[in-house]
Amino acid sequence: MTKLTRRDVLKAGTAVAAVAAGLPMPAVRAAEPIRIGAVLPFSGGLELFGNQAKLGLDLALAEINGAGGILGRPVELLYEDNKTDPKTSVERATSLIRRDQVLAITGPITSNARDAMMPTMSRSKVPLLYATNYEGGGCDRYLFAFNTVPNQELEKLLPVMKQKAGTSFYMFGADYVWPQKMFATAKTLVEGMGGTVAGTEFTPWGVKDFAPVIRRIKESGAKVLVFALPGADGITFIKQAEDLGLMKDVTVAFLGFAETYLGAFGPGKGQNMWVTVPFAASLDNPAVHDFVQRATAAAGGPVPVSHYAYTHHTALKAVKDALEKVGKVDREALVDGLEGLSFGTSVGPISIGAKDHHVSMPMFLAKTEGEGLVVVDQLGVIAPNAGCS
Amino acid sequence: MHLATLLLDGANAVLILMLVALGLAIVFGLMNVINLAHGEFLMLGAYVVLAAGQAGLPFWVGLALAPPAVALVGLVAEEVLVRHTYTRLLDTILATWGLSLVLRQAAVLLYGPGSHSVVPPDLGAVTIAGSPYPVYRLVVMAISLTAIAATFALFFRTRFGLAARAVIANRAMASCLGIDTRRLDRWTFAVGAGLAGLAGAAMAPLIAVDPQAGLGWLVPAFLAILVGGLGSIAGPLVGAAGIGGLDSLTAAVASPVWAQLAVFVAAILVIRLRPTGLIARRRRES
Repeated sequence: MTKLTRRDVLKAGTAVAAVAAGLPMPAVRAAEPIRIGAVLPFSGGLELFGNQAKLGLDLALAEINGAGGILGRPVELLYEDNKTDPKTSVERATSLIRRDQVLAITGPITSNARDAMMPTMSRSKVPLLYATNYEGGGCDRYLFAFNTVPNQELEKLLPVMKQKAGTSFYMFGADYVWPQKMFATAKTLVEGMGGTVAGTEFTPWGVKDFAPVIRRIKESGAKVLVFALPGADGITFIKQAEDLGLMKDVTVAFLGFAETYLGAFGPGKGQNMWVTVPFAASLDNPAVHDFVQRATAAAGGPVPVSHYAYTHHTALKAVKDALEKVGKVDREALVDGLEGLSFGTSVGPISIGAKDHHVSMPMFLAKTEGEGLVVVDQLGVIAPNAGCS
Repeated sequence: MHLATLLLDGANAVLILMLVALGLAIVFGLMNVINLAHGEFLMLGAYVVLAAGQAGLPFWVGLALAPPAVALVGLVAEEVLVRHTYTRLLDTILATWGLSLVLRQAAVLLYGPGSHSVVPPDLGAVTIAGSPYPVYRLVVMAISLTAIAATFALFFRTRFGLAARAVIANRAMASCLGIDTRRLDRWTFAVGAGLAGLAGAAMAPLIAVDPQAGLGWLVPAFLAILVGGLGSIAGPLVGAAGIGGLDSLTAAVASPVWAQLAVFVAAILVIRLRPTGLIARRRRES
């Protein structure tokens, strides 16, 4: 923050000096960096996701600047902490747009922060590069979504669960928009393939004892638990489900899973939970090895490298490709360039929808095993059902 | 749904909430400090167990270390921060809220923002009504009962307790009679923090240990105190029984969302109909 202020002071000083000398500002503009804002949670509860996003963005930044920037101009990332709060997200976005004149903003993590920011983004005509898995329905000229929407996660996962575990599904998640939309999509899919929904249930945040819910799921006789309770609450649930013997009765389809969960359930716990992800650090592929290695090196120690790092990396790399495709640097050019853009990533080629601004990408079926996430199958490219009408 | 498991789950929820509310109630009743950092003391207790485990100590040693360690933190916090705000109720809220932020961020800095797992001691499970019930949950209930009994013994069987109750009844008078209220305040706050530490340590193997772990406890504990009534030690226990029992039962027959609704509606009703709580300290007319 102090760095920005100092630069602003310098800039203002330069401007005053230039005006005083009666000269335009020459030469300075040529090396003017392309500024991109990142509004992410670095405090207030979701630091884990903010850090993952930063990991991917920093890697992409180093790659882009190491290869000469975009159209000869270096890229500069301006991180702002939104404190996991929608109101702060809007304030940070506004200051990035007004004060720093950013080309685009990436982030945030939560849907409520994104929804809060979106009116500001559309009004200012600044693209928002959102790279978190979400419920879909975010449709705007200035919004691009680089992570999954419900159908991409569920379409291939649920048939596998039916085949591996059984036809009866119980859905349990946190009481907010993402699980609600996830379960709506899941219900359609389950019924479409001749399965039954034994129950759908939501919980408020902060519940510490899930014993009553766990017993109800047990008694429903369901074979598959479709699970959408993120964060510490989800870990608490799985721990208690292990203790109360539920994990023997059901196979868990864990929605919104990422490598950040690994190790949090305790040794030997939380095994055989199935997920579909757009990226897995354990993928046996040289580009992924390289990505994980560089991310770990940048973090200065062993950290989980999840799809959040991957999608945020992708979002920034997409900016480079889009601007180079169009051949100029401004916000409208970026939107035009991103629409319909296809490019390669460490896990395979992805493409951005020209109309819906969501991403078709390769997905992977994986399950928790031992200390890790083991990739079971490559599901190929799955197109998003963005929910734009 | 078997009645046995229903009652067992309910008793578990009630006893844990009692343990959490007790420490909060002692500090509130005795010192008129609304301690918003109580949840964070609980979180610290869980982290003590985690740290002990990482240092290779057995779980039980961590469990034994947590209350004194957190009580020490409470002692320091009282000396440095809380005692300067005693006469101003609103300032205690602000000061302890600030303290809670500092403690939470300290946990983030020391252990990272992610969740950790405390491995529960392997005690196996007993079969109750056809489903396995972990023995450790029974141990937690026993710990809670013991701590509650010990707290009552402290307040009703010792000179410290007598002096403490005198201070609750009339602080100025107690001070005039030669009771060292400063010393009493210090130790009361430490005991309150220690109880939170114990609750956190006992709960650690059942929940995800992360810097936010204390947050979910503060509201139910405060509700228990408000419903049960201020200024007595039995009040919060009655309140915790009501809140915890209603929550667990509604979650069992309906869902956790309905449980939360039921708890808040019941709390509003009690506060409206009996503003002094279910068990109110009889006040002398003056």
